[in-house]
Amino acid sequence: MLQPHSLLWHYLWIGPQVLQGVLALFLWRRGVYRFFPFFFAYLIFGAAEQFTLYTMDVLPSVSTEAFWKAFWAGSIIEGAIKFGVIGELFFHLLRSRPAIAKLGSRLISGAGAAFVLLAVAAAAYTPMAHRQVLISRAHVLLQSSYVVDCGLALFLFLFAAHFKLIWNHQAFGIALGFGIVWCEHMAAWALSANGAWLEKSYLLDFVNTATYHLCVLIWFYYLLVPQKSATTSAVSLPENNLDIWNRELERLLHQ
Amino acid sequence: MNLAIVIVIAAALALGIILRLAVTQSLQARRSTDLAVSIRPIDIEAFRNLINPAEDEYLRCRLPANHFRGVRRERLRAMAAYVHVAASNAAALVRVGEAALASGDARVAEAAQQLVNDALLLRRNTTVALARIYLALAWPNSGFAAVRVVERYERVSGTAMLLGRLQNPALPVRLSVRL
Repeated sequence: MLQPHSLLWHYLWIGPQVLQGVLALFLWRRGVYRFFPFFFAYLIFGAAEQFTLYTMDVLPSVSTEAFWKAFWAGSIIEGAIKFGVIGELFFHLLRSRPAIAKLGSRLISGAGAAFVLLAVAAAAYTPMAHRQVLISRAHVLLQSSYVVDCGLALFLFLFAAHFKLIWNHQAFGIALGFGIVWCEHMAAWALSANGAWLEKSYLLDFVNTATYHLCVLIWFYYLLVPQKSATTSAVSLPENNLDIWNRELERLLHQ
Repeated sequence: MNLAIVIVIAAALALGIILRLAVTQSLQARRSTDLAVSIRPIDIEAFRNLINPAEDEYLRCRLPANHFRGVRRERLRAMAAYVHVAASNAAALVRVGEAALASGDARVAEAAQQLVNDALLLRRNTTVALARIYLALAWPNSGFAAVRVVERYERVSGTAMLLGRLQNPALPVRLSVRL
């Protein structure tokens, strides 16, 4: 069952892409795409990219070189769209919080630059694990891309947690899905790029595609299932000593 | 291969942190009651004395250098304790404000938005102040000012009081204690 071109292998490659296309259709019909244009573009491009790669993989007439060239092109465009998605999630997080918007923008720019440097350093130390340079470099490219993506996803969650920000339900779902899949992909592509499990590298494909499937299901839940209303009743406040506080404030102001 | 192991460990740690924060966030979004109870009053006057540069200067002139460094460190630790409480109060107030944002009353929503902004600024300032306090702990002779934290705390307190009054005029908020 856990073999290349088994039924499960085909399903895990194509199934999430079909679901992704269906999700894009729902987002379009419900108008949600207007709030998350980069995520919507990611859904459509990602599905189209994977359908193309799948077709190229199963067609015997397509050469290995042509497949990996297409893989390269797709990964670069997808990487750019993912940066847009991160910016979009950060915008949703800070939109109604102008007090920390400037600080947040500076911090995420700094964090992004730091993770890019880290990814470049990791790439420089990664050996050529595969005989074909094109394949080896594709693995290194993805390792680098996911180091940055995973780092920025972690930064988003830490930033929100530090300031106790409450995420928008849909943005939270998108961030959670990406957070899980980017962490797993970072580990899997690092193993591939460094030549670990070279003989059984197809097992990493199963882990990657299964995690991505889970991620798409998370997006389905958060983007299509309505949010349960949180407790919005009047917040119970502690006992009264406003008069004392006012007197103290007046005393401070008149010092 | 060593690099792969390092990256895999980093990925596992990042995933663990993200999942933990996601669970905390989900629970936080569902639980908005009893937030104000977690606010601990601060003796703002005592804090103001602690950060008064004139007091530091007085101690510097009166005490021998090594004794002054010890006293200064004690004062800095006390300062850090106050700033920690202010930061924790700011966090609680962000959540109180965000819970009140959904209010149908425009005045309450406006006060809540103001509270969230002020509390976020306070949270930011406390983070910077704590970094400076810990730096000063390592270097007790350096100058230090946490005045902005005090000013921000006063402002947040004022906004919280306004929101408290708008939401429930009978139960105002207590954010500081009298000397």
